[in-house]
Amino acid sequence: MDESIETEPQRLTLVTRKPCFGLPTACPSCLPVYIYLKLANVPFDLSYNLTFPDSDQIPYVDSDTYVAYNNEKGGVIESLKEDKIVNLDSEVQDLPEWVSTTAMINSWLSDAILYELWVGLDGSTAHKIYYSDLPWPIGKVLYLKQVYNVKQLLGISKDNAERREEEETSVLRGKLLEQPNLALYADKHKAELLDAASSSSSDPSSSSSIPRRGPSNWSSKPKSKPKRERTQEEKNFRRKAKYFLITQMVAVLVFLSLLGGSDDTEVDDVDGDEVNMVDGRMDRGKEPKIWQ
Amino acid sequence: MANQDDKPYSEIEEEDDTEDEEEEDDDFNEDEEEEEQQPLLTPESKMQTQRSQMEQVFHRISSERVPLRVHDVLIKGNTKTKDFIIEAEIEALKTATSVQELLQAATIANARLRKLDVFDSVSITLDSGPPELPGTSNVVVQVVECKNPLTGDVGVFTKPEARSWSLEGSLKFKNLFGYGDLWDGSLSYGWDQTTEVSAGVSLPRFMKLFTPVMARVSLLSQDWLKFSSYKEQSLGLSLGLLSTRNHDLAYNLSWRTLSDPSQMASKSIRRQLGHGLLSNLKYTFKIDRRDSPLRPTKGFAFVSASQLGGLFPDYRSLRSIRQEFDLHYALPLGFARAALNFGVAGGVIFPWGSDFKNRPTSLPDRFFLGGNSSPVCTLGGPTSLLGFKTRGLGPSEPKREVKTNSEDANSDTSERDFLGGDLAVTAFADLSFDLPLKVLRDSNIHAHAFACTGSLTKLTENSFREFSLQKYKDSFRSSAGIGLIVPTKLFRMEVDSRGTMNPETPNHVRVRI
Repeated sequence: MDESIETEPQRLTLVTRKPCFGLPTACPSCLPVYIYLKLANVPFDLSYNLTFPDSDQIPYVDSDTYVAYNNEKGGVIESLKEDKIVNLDSEVQDLPEWVSTTAMINSWLSDAILYELWVGLDGSTAHKIYYSDLPWPIGKVLYLKQVYNVKQLLGISKDNAERREEEETSVLRGKLLEQPNLALYADKHKAELLDAASSSSSDPSSSSSIPRRGPSNWSSKPKSKPKRERTQEEKNFRRKAKYFLITQMVAVLVFLSLLGGSDDTEVDDVDGDEVNMVDGRMDRGKEPKIWQ
Repeated sequence: MANQDDKPYSEIEEEDDTEDEEEEDDDFNEDEEEEEQQPLLTPESKMQTQRSQMEQVFHRISSERVPLRVHDVLIKGNTKTKDFIIEAEIEALKTATSVQELLQAATIANARLRKLDVFDSVSITLDSGPPELPGTSNVVVQVVECKNPLTGDVGVFTKPEARSWSLEGSLKFKNLFGYGDLWDGSLSYGWDQTTEVSAGVSLPRFMKLFTPVMARVSLLSQDWLKFSSYKEQSLGLSLGLLSTRNHDLAYNLSWRTLSDPSQMASKSIRRQLGHGLLSNLKYTFKIDRRDSPLRPTKGFAFVSASQLGGLFPDYRSLRSIRQEFDLHYALPLGFARAALNFGVAGGVIFPWGSDFKNRPTSLPDRFFLGGNSSPVCTLGGPTSLLGFKTRGLGPSEPKREVKTNSEDANSDTSERDFLGGDLAVTAFADLSFDLPLKVLRDSNIHAHAFACTGSLTKLTENSFREFSLQKYKDSFRSSAGIGLIVPTKLFRMEVDSRGTMNPETPNHVRVRI
């Protein structure tokens, strides 16, 4: 972005995990940063790290001597805001609806995503994203170690494995299917930002092209809810999980304010019910009508 | 089973340093029969007779070839050790055809059995063969197995490869299963913050291989944060397949992780962080004909090491070819024990496989020049270059800049990461001589003057396209100096004053151990 970079004029490079499933990067903690930079119209190069799946420094943005790591200052986007490179959230971050929605995202939804990626579907999605480029013995060991860590984090043991599976995935699936607007909105932005990028990026994914089929296919969902992080600390994980939703919300704001908001791209609060099921700490009564 | 006669007529006791035959007694079947038929004599005349017989025997051995063959080889004293282990070391005894050959074979066999390191003592006795078979001998090998198979060791060692000292503690267990197997576990902590925990086993005979086979599992952690902003951790298995005096072949499989906990790495280092699988075969040829490894005054030495990486069936393992060599020559000057030592060393590493021209080499496999080890004593590729700090030569990049609160736009000392290089060449010349004072000469304290030069360049990622001879010549850095060397029993201390032909690096005095 021309006006915001005061530090250096060098071109930024975003280092993420590999592209898969039709996405420029399939890792749910990397994709929000990518979308954020795209929405901000900041020119950057995309580079991949294929050998360090258990690093919490990735994704990071760098250019020669400047680096904004994922595990510093609250994340890459926060670091970029602080270093005045890019800031899309300046107008909305004090709104109460914003705060409550992000808190909601950071709690049960992030757990569900974590479960879905690592425990559900045999964890094959996660294996493909993170370990498919590592030599077999290393990839296997790291993968098993991470699955074990996630199960510890979610409190899943042999006894409650089935019960948890029902809780996490069926609710998530059901609720997302009830939000066709959200799915449409996500698809629309995907078309604008990600498909255009994949044709021009240096390493387009050659994996299956699923996302067009809509919310019934789980592989597409990590894109629209790409907040899943493999760090040990829950706090870190939740913080990172809010990025995508923030960028989505802001983009909608911008869209509506600039073009009059002819679509009803209103995104309802994903129901108070499911929140209640897990930890009930969300404020159910409110609807986050941020853009009215 | 020994002869009917319960008195062994001949016995060979070997010292470690003996090869001459004056200390051996020997006697033969032919003499035995004559002795039995002799009439009873006084003790003095008996002794005289025996002495004259011995003299005759010695005369015969030294002047002519005395034919003798081995009828039977008996092994005694091995309760745990398997027979075939001992038999393998004494093969040459069975094929001896004369006394001289037999004595030589017995000497060698004794040394080889002691080298197994599982016996407290070894003695080989040449006994007379059965009386009905003249000209034969029975060989009795008597071994005493180690009473205490567990030994421990703590020490401080210098490691030329790591260019530093290390404190090591190890436990050895000898002959656990009776195959001459030596088990050891060791823990070592290096002064450059290298930590290694390893366990290994060595087998003298494994299947049909004629050299000992070794296997070692090790967990290693090396900290290069100060010089190159990365930490290396590796879990590896190495198999020594062939190990003789000059040749060494080993296979190494390890899982290596590079990480940067300081988060200050430069761009190239950041791109290298991650996990990797190494699977390589390393062949080393070494020949050292110098008279002393610490203060060579004549002779030469040559080492060549070739390493082929990427042998694991998985195509994603690290693939590269690495070759290095080191040649030293010492020329005596004939006065004051002075000697001129020359040396030249070089090495190159290049990746192979798909897209090899664009891929960088793996960071820890590259060559790094600099450091404090003496080029005269270090034999093993282009590593040491006096006058430069550890890893101080070659390509480097600025580390990450972190803005502080004090509004300093640019920090004064921008630190740099040293990246190593793919092509390394070093050369040195060193003149060492005794000092005039007798007290210094007696303690082997001597002086030396040296000059060395080196260059480190990057070839990968298409850098070789910009390679030009002029640029390469310009990349050489040199240093020269004089110093004093104080060798002690434990280490060798060197005090040098040196300067580099490089305006940025100041001259300095250094003490090295």
